[in-house]
This record gives sequence, structure tokens and C-alpha cells, in this order.
Amino acid sequence: MANHHAVIEKNIGLMIVLILVAVSFGGLAEIVPLFWQKATTEPISTLRPYSALEMAGRDVYIREGCHVCHTQMVRPLRAETERFGDYTVAGEDVWEHPFLWGSKRTGPDLDRVGLRPITEQWHREHLRDPRALVPESNMPAYPWLQHATVDWSTMARTLKVFQQQFGVPYSDQDIEAQMAKVGGEWADATEEDALVAYLLSLGQARREQRP
Amino acid sequence: MSDFWSFYIIAIVVLNLVGCAFLLFANLRMTPEETRSETTGHSFDGIQERNQPLPRWWLYLFVLTLLFSVVYLVLYPGLGRFGGLLNWSSVSQWQEEVAWVNKQTEPLFEQFAKVPIEELHAYPETRDVGGRLFANNCALCHGSDARGAKGYPNLTDDDWLYGGSAEAILTSIRDGRHGQMPPMAAAVGGTDQAVRDMALYVQSLSRPAIKDKPEVAASVERAAPRFAVCAACHGQDARGNQALGAPNLTDGVWLHGARLEDIETTIREGRSSRMPPHESVLSEERLHVLAAYVYGLSQP
Repeated sequence: MANHHAVIEKNIGLMIVLILVAVSFGGLAEIVPLFWQKATTEPISTLRPYSALEMAGRDVYIREGCHVCHTQMVRPLRAETERFGDYTVAGEDVWEHPFLWGSKRTGPDLDRVGLRPITEQWHREHLRDPRALVPESNMPAYPWLQHATVDWSTMARTLKVFQQQFGVPYSDQDIEAQMAKVGGEWADATEEDALVAYLLSLGQARREQRP
Repeated sequence: MSDFWSFYIIAIVVLNLVGCAFLLFANLRMTPEETRSETTGHSFDGIQERNQPLPRWWLYLFVLTLLFSVVYLVLYPGLGRFGGLLNWSSVSQWQEEVAWVNKQTEPLFEQFAKVPIEELHAYPETRDVGGRLFANNCALCHGSDARGAKGYPNLTDDDWLYGGSAEAILTSIRDGRHGQMPPMAAAVGGTDQAVRDMALYVQSLSRPAIKDKPEVAASVERAAPRFAVCAACHGQDARGNQALGAPNLTDGVWLHGARLEDIETTIREGRSSRMPPHESVLSEERLHVLAAYVYGLSQP
């Protein structure tokens, strides 16, 4: 044994392999079992898949980088549950691809924003000009969203991918019904309509479970 | 967690600890040939690499971390399904925290609930507690200074759409309000000129001086008989109707803007403003304190 460390220290390839083995233990113990735990792989009973409009809004949310400043993860700390609502559980996010938990709160957490007593009108005015309503806000304005119509060209494929690759339980009829609305009442929907619909959907799965 | 995964996690954690201890102690002593020479044999530019045993304090720190992990795993969750002797979890910690704070605050809120809003607003605690509730629930529309924004009423000016009594304020917060004005363009005459005339008339109610201009005076005169349709909600004297949330038009306070263009837009398109109900997010006791805070904002 005694001198074997010299072998490792003088053989950089072997050292890399052993380092990778050493650091993988944490992931093997902490991450790998989660793929087989019900709490992390099964949706909570009240969860429902996004409508096409909400899905489009979610794409706008990602494109505009909302998740860079807003988290969607209420931690089990009293100050957070007091301010935002119930803490987030893993079963709420099993259909999120990619998840939008975020890691930095320049703005408030949005995981429960759909449960807040905030009107749709407020969301629209606030997206167009945040400082008109909250003078001390440093959120950028997104006035163009009200003029841009949603690009629906990829939505049928998006829903298929969520259904087939990610296992979100859309039935074929669901997708047909959503695409009928896309061709009908939502055909001229603006990106602002979509984003507001998405924001108002956040947290709805937990509405029934509120105390 | 199934038996398999519990065992799997325990195995990895224990093997890691044992492995670390083994690596540490197996490399503790130097071989005889290492002790014979003071250097490792590396030499570069005449600089030689010395070979020394681990400093003792460093070794003890390493042993300490091993002991710490053992103590930690006994007390806290880490070994599969074994939850640790302290039975700690992030959820139980949250529950304790919430229960502890509730134990402090419930008696206070109970005490506040017995005090009528008209008195409670003067309590210094109302400033603190109500202020926090206001910041979290009301400030995003009414502003952190409660002075409102376009379309969202100023709460500090003692001008009330639905009444400034304690009861009216509490009802507004708890049940919400929906202020509606229908589009009135057709009712006031239909033409752009008719809308402009009525806007000037409404503006002149709080700013009579604008009638000094003869063309404005002419507009006001044309619009005056048509104000009857507005009076249904805003009253014959234009002082509003708090039962409907119809604003007083004579006091110079403008919810949707004071410019002539704003008033014309209001007449032409109507307005629909919602104050959402808050009974789902705030308990009765908290609503009481919040109402007292809002009541106090416009008290002298």
C-alpha cells in the first residue's frame, strides 16, 4: 500500500478517473434514488397539463428570461410561505421540461402568483410598464408583447413532444381540442395574452390544498 | 423509500466513511525508504521537493471531520430511511417555526380584534403590523406609499369611491369591488365633438376657470343638458355615489387621469376596475388590522 499514492500522483489519467469516481458518490447517494421515489416522480393529484395558450406563455417566459430574476420555488421557510404561499413540492414539477425553479430572486417568487389576488388587468399594465404601478421596481418593461401575435407554428409538435417524450398525459383528443382552439379563438392571441394566461395558471394545482 | 434504496444509500454512505478513514490511516506512515531520504527525489532547476509526514493538527482535523459525520448521521437524516435521533426534517422545522410565530402573534391579533377599527388605527402596533400586511398585499397596486397609481386609488387623500367608514374599508378589502362605467359615447351625443364637449364639462366641474375661454364655455353649455345620463350614477350634483362606486367628479381627484384625453377615453370606452377579494389570503383578524391601517392612512 504504502507507496501507491506515488503511482496515482505520477499518472494524471488514472488520477482523473479516480477523482470522477470519488465525486460521483455524492450523486449516487443523493440524486440517483430520486428517479425511483414516488414523491419526485408522481404528479400531485390536482396537477393538470398546460393548455396550448399557457404553454405558449411559458415559452415567452423562457425566451424573455423571466426565470433569471424570478424563482418558482417556495422553500419551507416561514417568511417565504407567509409571503408567497405554500412551499413547493416535487410532485408539482414532474411535467416541467425544463423546470423553471430559477436560482436568484431579483424579483419575487412566482410559483403561487396565480393564487394571489391580482387582476389580469394588473398583470398586463405591469408587463407593459412596471414602474407605472410599482415606482421602485427595477423590472424591465415588456411593451412589445401586447403587439406580437403568438407563433403557433410549432405548438402541435410541442404538445406531441410533451406527450410522447416527457410522458405528460395529454390524450390525442386533448391535443386536437387544444389545436382547434389555436386555430380558432387563440389564433390572434398576443404573446401578452399567452404570458398572462401562464402566470395566472401558476399555483392553481395547489388551490384546493390551501388551508 | 423502499428497502432496496434505503440499503443502497446506507451502503454508499458507510463505505465512503470507511474508505476515507482507510485512505487516511493507510497513508499515515512513511515507508522505510521514504524516511531515509528527506526528499521525494524530484528535482528541478536545483530545487528539491521535500517529503514530510502529515502535520499532526491537520491529521486531527481530518479525524474530527470523520467523527463529525458519524455524530451527524446519528442525529440527522442521512442513512436511508433512518431519520436520525432528533427526528428532524425541513417540513417539521417549518411547522415548528410557524407554530412558534403563531403562538406569539395569535394573542396579539385576538387583542386587536376586540378593538374597533376607529380606535385601532391609532395604535403604534397597527403601523408596524398593518404596514407589513399592506406592503405584502396592497402595495403592488396602491403603491408602497399608498398613494395609488393610474387606475388604482390613492388611499391617503380621504376621497373614497365606496366610502371611508371602517365597515366600508373592511368590506372593500375582504370582498373586493368591481367598479364599472359603460361606454357613454353614444349616450352623450355620439360625435367626437359631443364627447369633447362632455369631457370639458366634466373637467369644468372641478376647474371652473377653464370656462373663461369662450369656446370652452360654449362646449360646456352644449354638454350641460346631456349630463342627465351621467347623473344616473354620478348624481345630479356630480358628487358621485358611493353605493355604486361612482366617483365624485367635482373634487379634482382623477382615478384614470386628469388630462382631457383621459376623460374623453373614459367617456368613450368606459372603465372596468377590479379590486380583488382578499378573504382567501388573509384571516379575519389580519383583515381587521389591515383595515385599521388603511383607515388610519387618511386620518389627520
